[in-house]
Amino acid sequence: MSHKGKNSAVSGKGKKPKPGGESKSEDVLQAVVLADSFQDRFRPFTLEKPRCLLPLANTPLIEYTFEFLAMNGVSEVYIYCGAHTDQVEDYVNRSRWSTASRSCPFSVLQFVRVSDARSVGDVLRDMDKRSLVGGDFLLVHGDLVSNMLLDGVLAAHRKRREESAANIMTLVLSSAGAHEHRTKTHGITPVFAVDSRNKRCLHYDEINPLQSEHYLSLDPAIPDELSTDFEVRADLIDAHVDICTPEVLALWSESFDYELPRRNFLHGVLKDWELNGKMIYADILEDGYAARASNLQMYDAISRDMLEGWTTPFVPQANVVPRQSYTYYDGAVVAENGSSVPTDADVSNSVIGNGSSIGSGSKVSGSFIGKHCKIGANVTLDNCFVWDDVTIEDGARISRSILADSAVVGKDCSIPTGSLVSFGSQISDGITLAEGAVISTLTADGQPVTKDTKLLGATTNAAPFVDPEDEEVDEEDPSRLQKSLIYSLANLNLSTSTISTFASDVESDSDDEGGFLAADATSSRSRLSSFASDDSGGRISFHNDAVHGLLDALRDETGDFDSAKLEFMGLRLATDASDTMMRKAIATAFARRAAELLTPEHGGLEPGKAAEKALRARKGATKFIDEVGVGGEEPEQVEFVLAVQRALLHAKGVETPRAGILLAALLQQLYSLDILEEEGILGWWNDERALLS
Amino acid sequence: MAPAAAGYAPNLEKYLKSLKGQHLELTIENLVSLLKRGQISGAEDCAVATAHCLLQVVAKSKWQDVDTLIYNVSRTGNRLARALPHELVISNVARRVLGLIRDEAAETRNEPPSETPSEGQMTPSDAPTNATALSQQWPPSTGSNGPKPPPRPAMMRPGTTVGPGIPRTLSHLLSASPAMEGDGHLSPAGTSGTSTPLQRGGGTSSSQVHALKSEVIDGIEEIMDEISQVDDQIGALADIHIRPGDHILVHQPSRTVSRFILRAAVKRKFTVLIASQPPPRVKKGEEDPYASFRKKLSSAGVSVINITCGGVMAYMSLVNKVIMGASAVVAGGGVISDAGAAAIARAAKEYGIPIVVLAGIYKFSPSNPYRDDDVVQWANPMTYVSFAEGQLVSTNGCLVKTAVNEVISAQLIDTYVTNLGTHSRAHLSGLIADHYKPEDMDLHLWEMNDP
Repeated sequence: MSHKGKNSAVSGKGKKPKPGGESKSEDVLQAVVLADSFQDRFRPFTLEKPRCLLPLANTPLIEYTFEFLAMNGVSEVYIYCGAHTDQVEDYVNRSRWSTASRSCPFSVLQFVRVSDARSVGDVLRDMDKRSLVGGDFLLVHGDLVSNMLLDGVLAAHRKRREESAANIMTLVLSSAGAHEHRTKTHGITPVFAVDSRNKRCLHYDEINPLQSEHYLSLDPAIPDELSTDFEVRADLIDAHVDICTPEVLALWSESFDYELPRRNFLHGVLKDWELNGKMIYADILEDGYAARASNLQMYDAISRDMLEGWTTPFVPQANVVPRQSYTYYDGAVVAENGSSVPTDADVSNSVIGNGSSIGSGSKVSGSFIGKHCKIGANVTLDNCFVWDDVTIEDGARISRSILADSAVVGKDCSIPTGSLVSFGSQISDGITLAEGAVISTLTADGQPVTKDTKLLGATTNAAPFVDPEDEEVDEEDPSRLQKSLIYSLANLNLSTSTISTFASDVESDSDDEGGFLAADATSSRSRLSSFASDDSGGRISFHNDAVHGLLDALRDETGDFDSAKLEFMGLRLATDASDTMMRKAIATAFARRAAELLTPEHGGLEPGKAAEKALRARKGATKFIDEVGVGGEEPEQVEFVLAVQRALLHAKGVETPRAGILLAALLQQLYSLDILEEEGILGWWNDERALLS
Repeated sequence: MAPAAAGYAPNLEKYLKSLKGQHLELTIENLVSLLKRGQISGAEDCAVATAHCLLQVVAKSKWQDVDTLIYNVSRTGNRLARALPHELVISNVARRVLGLIRDEAAETRNEPPSETPSEGQMTPSDAPTNATALSQQWPPSTGSNGPKPPPRPAMMRPGTTVGPGIPRTLSHLLSASPAMEGDGHLSPAGTSGTSTPLQRGGGTSSSQVHALKSEVIDGIEEIMDEISQVDDQIGALADIHIRPGDHILVHQPSRTVSRFILRAAVKRKFTVLIASQPPPRVKKGEEDPYASFRKKLSSAGVSVINITCGGVMAYMSLVNKVIMGASAVVAGGGVISDAGAAAIARAAKEYGIPIVVLAGIYKFSPSNPYRDDDVVQWANPMTYVSFAEGQLVSTNGCLVKTAVNEVISAQLIDTYVTNLGTHSRAHLSGLIADHYKPEDMDLHLWEMNDP
């Protein structure tokens, strides 16, 4: 009732006649739907079906997203899909949302294909190039479930934008309270610092139980300059509903390496507020539901919220999708017309789709059963998600698991909590699975599996699913917390000591080649997943990136060293590396290059020649060492020599005596180039650290 | 929404604006979505929207004869009714329009109407009644039939009334089908044969179709006028029901009730007790929805007592009369009203206090719900409980339920005041029979078999 009043108030102000060409951006609300998440948290299901088409309460996820957009009066929709584009297009074109169907509330519904997108960032940069959107637009994901009415937020956003063009974006968040809450994202907790008065978002970070530092660092400028009264909130549900201006896309284009809209983009833009001068606001709504089925745990939570009515009007009995006919019965059972439930079955808190039948004596609670499922007699289903056309034979017991389309579970099987049975998998009679088992007929790269008859019985066609990327994901990547249906920290090694040792290892620079590779792998991943929280990750990556960059420049005999220098300085600024780190990186790079030249594949030069070549081959290299690498008096010179010494000791394929000769040759060259002074070398000689290594 | 109403969340106002020039299917589909999403809610808004939508069906859908028109309208009415099953006024309006078409069709054929004309107090658009059909058809057969084809008038009115002058011709039979082809979603399959006996033969020349169309559109516009005038017409009866010195209890006064009380306040001095539910958790817009009502009352010299629902019983001994609004009245006389009203009604009954229900005639439904659940709507639990209360929300098996409306059983109600006058329960069936054709009683069963 009352929100209607608000609507008309707003519409009175904002409504204009038919959209003319010139004022199009003003009166047409556009939306961009990211139908691909570039994640694999729904594996193995997403091997065969994109996430946005997976059923939540028997309705594909993307339907809720479209309903949300239609509810808020969006009229132009652009959909980006990555994996399984054909399926999404096919589905949408055959649904009522297709603009060809005459019943589509959107005036434009367009698919945009990006062939080489690897992340949300790539998609948004592509969008900037195409300049599809003219004015404010909603940026949502294809797995969003929300009933929020954005009229008020949109009006506030518009007002801010009229005040200043620097107000580029409004995040729509909702509060989930201080206590544990099932619909909060587990594992990774978003933390927002928001000004209490003008709602400006000041800082964004993510924390997770696996990180080594259990604190969050705020830019001192926030209390000093930006705000006198702000809140740091970790209790918010962030459904990634953003109201953006086209400037946001331009900003994405400027930052070519941003991949994730929150961890990279939001964090980065807020951090560099001085540089880009942009402001982002966060509206925290007290009423209205919004959540993304971004992982299986959220999928579970949203399903339950929906059954309990929190997502009203998007509940099964509202039959939002045409041709559904769900009716609400006592005991919170929502069943479709063609389903059959015998009187002696005990069904509660469940949704049952058309054409499904439940056998006598079965006990079903808290479960979602799709269309045309056959559930035998005396089956126990507890908090399960059973998609379409599933067959469950008599006497099976399944709890808190997902059974995808056309799965078959044999008689008297027992499937414990957290199991995932993918499309078409068959499990023979009498099988008992382990907790959290993942069964699929396909391997991670989409090939049929060799069936595992030992585990799943003689008639099976499936095998346990192994995600090869699981092994690459390192211990402290929080995304692995979100891969299972059940959130649990119980089996994890949360000792922080290993993590901190790892970080100090790198700092003390014991990077022999093997360790170096490992560090490289982790650091590039940590930029993806945990860079925001883990400062040491930034340092590791600086060292490795810098050494690599310099080495490449040194190997390349022709080019100009100035560009390498520029790149190096840029990297330094980006990662905020200290002078010491820089010095170490440079010393390591040159020492490696010299050591490399000793090896037969690079010419097998004599140590003296190698040292000379490493230092003098490239124009500008010596100047670079002088200015950037050493750039100081005795203590700095000592440090530099120490770093060279260490790098040589760990260099591959060079035995220690020769490394000694090489070091002497290098020092001699550096001395003759006036980079090192006598005091420096003597200082190093006397330094006890030199003896240790 | 449609381009014209883009930019912000759609609502009734924008919906009505968007109708012009819009494709019919989009018109219907938009309304269905709005109803499902609750963006058009409340009996009156739903009735207005339904009437507008059906008017578009009459004006835009392709039909060459009455059968097809009736099929189109009933099919659309059914879709709308199923979008929001607990809002009975939607099907009421659809039935009214169907009745209207049947009457107009009979007139266009220049036949003596087969029914006896209705009595004087009818609204302009009122349908004539069929006394013979009534005796056979009423009470409606809704309860026990199960899915079946629509009731056949031919079976109900044997012989005499079926027998229009023009014999059934082959060309007429064929004319129905090709006319429909252009409009894929409305297919006459399965109906043209069945309902033909009544409407068949209303010579389908284009001038007649045209005349019929404009007649029906005029009729629907009259229904819209009726809906908009209901509050005034009911208010005119206020003096009869409220006496000086009365203590009147109202529960969450709707617009109809407010107008009624204010109308009485012009002439009479009395006391109004306003019972209201605790305010919802998130207050939107106006702090107190009844503030302006109170202000008007006190400026009219009526004293006002505010009570929350829990305190109503203590005041009950003071009260002479309870006045309630309704979102619908079912055939048996049960009233669907805001949640909390049933407790008040029960308390009033205990004290022997008369209960007066105010409802426009369009809210009287010829059907009875099978179960209360069919007409009770459950609100979003967020109305009273914050979603941020994680401990409550996350507890498995904890269900927060808030009813939007509830059914007050017919035994508790003494008087029904409509725009046509004051009625007792015994007269309701006659009232309903005056307004709906027996053929249309089973509207909701019309197309169970449709996809």
